Amino acid sequence: MSDLVNKVAELLNAPVDLVQRSAEARAAASGTTVDAVLSSWAGGESVTSAAPAAEAPKEETPVEEEVVEETPVEEEVVEETPVEEEVVEITGEVVEEEVLQEVEKESSLSFVGGVVAIAIFTFLLGFSIPKNQEIAEVTESLNNSVEVTADVLKGAQVYNELNCQSCHTQNVRALIPDTQNGKVLSNKFANEALIKAVGNLRTAPDLSTNNTREPTNNAQWLERYLKDSTSVNRDIPHPSYTFVSDSDLEYLITYLLSLGENNE
Amino acid sequence: MKLKLIPKNEQELSKLFVILFPLVLILSSAVMFLKNSYFTFANLLPHNSVFNYGKLASIENQISFHLLIGVSLSLLFVYLLSKSLGRKMAMFPLAFLTLLGYLGLLFLNILINHSIISLFLTLIVFGLVGISTINVLAKKENTIFTSGQHIYGAVMMLFIASLVSRSSLDIYSDQLLISALSSSLINMSVIPILFMSAIYFLMTKALGATLYSKTLSSISFWGFLFLLPWTNFKYYYGSVLPNWLENVSIYLSLSLIIPLLAFVVNYIQTSQDNDGESQKLLSRLNFSMILFTITTTLHIASSFANLLPILGLTNFVYAIKFGYFSSLVIVVMSLILYLIPKLFGREVSYKTFDNLGLSGINFSLSLYFINNLIIGINSGYSWNAGANAGNPTIYGEGFQIQWELIGTNLMANTFISLLFFLSAVLYFITVIKSISSGAVTTVEEMVSS
Repeated sequence: MSDLVNKVAELLNAPVDLVQRSAEARAAASGTTVDAVLSSWAGGESVTSAAPAAEAPKEETPVEEEVVEETPVEEEVVEETPVEEEVVEITGEVVEEEVLQEVEKESSLSFVGGVVAIAIFTFLLGFSIPKNQEIAEVTESLNNSVEVTADVLKGAQVYNELNCQSCHTQNVRALIPDTQNGKVLSNKFANEALIKAVGNLRTAPDLSTNNTREPTNNAQWLERYLKDSTSVNRDIPHPSYTFVSDSDLEYLITYLLSLGENNE
Repeated sequence: MKLKLIPKNEQELSKLFVILFPLVLILSSAVMFLKNSYFTFANLLPHNSVFNYGKLASIENQISFHLLIGVSLSLLFVYLLSKSLGRKMAMFPLAFLTLLGYLGLLFLNILINHSIISLFLTLIVFGLVGISTINVLAKKENTIFTSGQHIYGAVMMLFIASLVSRSSLDIYSDQLLISALSSSLINMSVIPILFMSAIYFLMTKALGATLYSKTLSSISFWGFLFLLPWTNFKYYYGSVLPNWLENVSIYLSLSLIIPLLAFVVNYIQTSQDNDGESQKLLSRLNFSMILFTITTTLHIASSFANLLPILGLTNFVYAIKFGYFSSLVIVVMSLILYLIPKLFGREVSYKTFDNLGLSGINFSLSLYFINNLIIGINSGYSWNAGANAGNPTIYGEGFQIQWELIGTNLMANTFISLLFFLSAVLYFITVIKSISSGAVTTVEEMVSS
């Protein structure tokens, strides 16, 4: 008997002899080796291949025990009638094998159904319902749209292309420390370009109320800072947008100067 | 080394991903290094439309958290799924084309940001769901092995993420909702579930151990699959997301302790039963498990209401997703080293040079993870403290306080990512060297139909 048989026997809580015989029957039925069958029972790999992980068929244990209880009866019969021994032995193996297969059977359909149910549940409760709930709230309010000029929208697009939101947020939260940065944005309808600029990493200053603060409410200061940040502060790293065209820079500044007015 | 243009079976296609993964890992680490350099040396480096921090941050996100994860998913899908089901992959040519299209679109998405690409991505991920469903339904084994279960779960979550990210932006909170859920689905569900898929395979088959408990593996699978997608909303605590969603997220995040314990106990008990012949693999698996456990524990601990305002919307959240990313990278690297003899018939010689690359990746990834945790905690804390001082967002003393606290760590990120890049290059050389000139060994038998 190999170590593998002992391992499987221990795992199944069944006698070593019984496991060995079951494995032999299974190997004969599937045209593979006994070791391959034992490996599959022990570590969770396909009988037909050398492969993957993790299925210790613990569920089999109770039934295996039932079969074990029957074994002495078979042995008694064997002792009395040696001629019939082989027949009984073979029949026993087939029964054991059938029992083993029946116990292991796991419905693919219920597994797939379970995963799909969780996915649908997540999509509905984590996304569809809250999204519709938020839109319904906004629809009920009287002043829910954002009026901006075409230049501001172009500026928002430049802001998104430069990915300014990888550092800056426009996301003041309803928390005491945050509210001192500005007013909490109400949930309102807006253009896609404006919505995209929200950001979620507060590595750099929040720009929600950019136009209400000194010195960022000054177009000249912004232009100087965006072109050469070191001219304003040498210590804080900020990209110098010398590669951005003059017109795009102008749109960007127009957009930055609009923050504060629209967000209140 | 033989690579066929049109692979005929799972083994041949797996070879492609075994080579592709180290290449994408190099690309990912190179862009990560460049991105960090453009933050630390913003005033010294030349800028243009591609080489600036914002653009590089976007590219890094696409490569690390989409393309690299896509390659890992493809490898696990091709190699493990069919084996888990005890049969040759049903509709293999279609699966091959779908995976090729999936990776091609992910690559295209880095270069062109267009809604039509995300539409095709959604369709192609739906195709993957279909192929994996057909395979699961047509299984030959009596059970679906744990690795296969996890791969199927990951593909399904990926599909939901692609559906969510295609949603229209109508109102302000939509962006927060989309970024919270899609990030939760990809970074905090697909990545950890893929990690578990590989771990379950390696800790049994590769270590020669017997799974300790199928019940525990079921608890961890269904627990993580159900809970993880909800855990990112909490970091938006206080924002315009519905309050009930934030509260549900807090409670479900705390519940993660149950599947985590089931998973860890199962791993410890199973790995103790190893055959003693793969100690190096065991130590790498242990390392990735420790990283995964710490990440999940911090993810759970951050659910406490007095910590959320500090940790939400900071690098802490990035550190959590990076922790999961690192665990997956380490375990997929181990899987590839395990597969080289099986697929290419060549031994991997763990010489000093090879060990240096592997240890370098472990060291740099964990250091980067810890560093970003510190940045997140410090910036969140100083942000709140600065706000209370009344001068938080002006380019003056308010932000200066924050910068003084996180500046050194951000600079350290640059050098850590340089180490990661160099280690990734060494790892690539190890893989190529092993495939081309490793000692000859027996190739693994193919899966029969």
